[in-house]
Amino acid sequence: MATANPLPDAASPTATPDTRLLVLLASLPQEQLTSVLGKLAACVAPENLLIATSDETVKTVRPDLHIVTAATTKSTWTITAADYVSAFQLAQENHAHAVLLLGPECDSLSERGLRNLASAIMADGSDLAMPLYDLPPRAGLVNSAILYPLSRALFASAVRFPLAVDLGMSMRMAERISMAAQRFTNLNQPTAILWPVNEASAAGFTISEVEAGARILPQPSEPDLNTVLPLVAGSLFADIEAKAAFWQRARQMPLERNHQPALAASAADNPTDIAPMLQAFRVAYTNLQEIWSLVLPPNSLLGLKRLSLMDGTAFRMPESLWARIVFDFVLAYRLRTINRGHLLGALIPLYLAWVASHINVSATETGPDHHIEAVAAAFATEKPYLVARWRWPDRFNP
Amino acid sequence: MQTILAAFYQQSAPQAPRPLYVDNATLWRHMSDALHQSLDRVLSLLIAVLPGILAFFIAIGIFALIGVILAWLLRRGLSAAKFDDRVARYRGNADWTPMTTPTAIAGRACFWVCMVIGLMIGVSAFDTSYATAGVLPFPLLPYLVRIVGATLILIGGTIVARFLARSVLIGAVNIQLQYARFLSLGIKWLVLVLTAAMALAHLQIGGPIVEIAFGILFGGIVLTLSLAVGLGSRGLVSRSLESHVERTNDQNAERSTTGAGESFRHF
Repeated sequence: MATANPLPDAASPTATPDTRLLVLLASLPQEQLTSVLGKLAACVAPENLLIATSDETVKTVRPDLHIVTAATTKSTWTITAADYVSAFQLAQENHAHAVLLLGPECDSLSERGLRNLASAIMADGSDLAMPLYDLPPRAGLVNSAILYPLSRALFASAVRFPLAVDLGMSMRMAERISMAAQRFTNLNQPTAILWPVNEASAAGFTISEVEAGARILPQPSEPDLNTVLPLVAGSLFADIEAKAAFWQRARQMPLERNHQPALAASAADNPTDIAPMLQAFRVAYTNLQEIWSLVLPPNSLLGLKRLSLMDGTAFRMPESLWARIVFDFVLAYRLRTINRGHLLGALIPLYLAWVASHINVSATETGPDHHIEAVAAAFATEKPYLVARWRWPDRFNP
Repeated sequence: MQTILAAFYQQSAPQAPRPLYVDNATLWRHMSDALHQSLDRVLSLLIAVLPGILAFFIAIGIFALIGVILAWLLRRGLSAAKFDDRVARYRGNADWTPMTTPTAIAGRACFWVCMVIGLMIGVSAFDTSYATAGVLPFPLLPYLVRIVGATLILIGGTIVARFLARSVLIGAVNIQLQYARFLSLGIKWLVLVLTAAMALAHLQIGGPIVEIAFGILFGGIVLTLSLAVGLGSRGLVSRSLESHVERTNDQNAERSTTGAGESFRHF
């Protein structure tokens, strides 16, 4: 690993090609592209910067930068298997030292955020640098409900956004995740989602999380939650199944985060109508008993019955109940208790119930971050339940 | 019979009339003869069929044994070649994945292929001996094949009915249709009725009666669903659809706003 600091403040005049940072950009409109290039050039010395983009016109706009042409990939809302494969190939061909992947709408990232990401992999020597976004309190709810708590409890990772749309990787991390991605691209699934935090944890690589500031997160092109949630949750559940031997070992949990009370106040000022979500949950409770009873133990079903009787403002889903529900769905995914598409479809109303509960808790109590951390802590507490049921799924479970 | 009666009268004419029990004894003898003859026929039939039955069970037993041995060898071979790991590596996140490991599936498939071959050979042997005995005017094997086919149709239909019912139920619940369960049940019974009609037609039972009954029943279910949705639940459906459209519009509007706190985003 090179020791030279390629950042402009302390850029070495004799930088070798091995200190290059390859930045793979998603397809962006011309203005956004120009803006991002300007920020990148301000963060990293141009001689150490290698921009990979499918837009050929950039070469004329920024002739001072070293631009390489990347293969055109299907534009998606997150980083896909094809992006990882492409990034590693380009990095290898151009003898890069590290890779920075920037997703759609990355022009909303601040210069400081870009600098932090680049610095974490170039100067600090991390294998994986994940951004910590400063999002509105009610954004990224799937991440808060499922992705972050599961990732934290099972892989002992403190990364708040495991499905971040921007990230930095060392070459060995890029190689590892590229190998994982190639399995999907070989199966003609180039848009498959990968989980770099899980991959890095399983490989024993160093992971760092850096402040990235505010960012506009790109939204899925398919607006229907019924399509996107099963896709994302199914991908994570499959990854958990594949890495079962790793996460079943006991690990020290990361420390709890500091809360941001300012965001809680902002959430309380703008009440959200949770009635449609509660209605969705109640319709599901009336109709999906048969399917839920195949997946959930009687204790969880009793908890759901209590929830179905709660009024709007008093609606609270206990954190431990949500943790057990998610763990039971992970287990049913592994055991193929019912068709996986049906299973993930049956999770949606429960997720909406959690969102309603989260909005209530966030509005009246200590704020969204505190609640998200409480949920994550509940997942960590309930992890032995998952491990036990994973190992002995047929054992009596009240 | 007439000869017997004539002989009987010739023998009995010069003598004094015999008591009545003698006639009974003759009758009993004839009945006994008839019974013996029928017993002989049944026994000879059994003797003719017995080799076939024996051949049937021996064929199944031998092929079951062969199946067990082949399945064991296959499982050992695939485990040594790390077949499961290779499949898992190249499978990706396929939605249609079986409950058991690929090695176990291959072993079971091998065993059941052997069993089916044994069954076919056994039935064929049984059929040959049965036909030789000349008891039935038609061959047994083709009808057994039909029964197996009808059973497979029933099993497949039940699986498809359950799958479609669950798909409709979950889809309808997730778009918040109040009558999701009713819709799901309707779909399930449509497929089950179709399956039953197909199985009966495959067995050549009922002939046109089954077709007509199926047509009436299928049409009746569709008409009931149409009337229920179109007339009986018109208000419910329109409210449900309106609320769905409103919800979708709201979600789109929320997506278009980027201001903090005013809306929520799942991603």
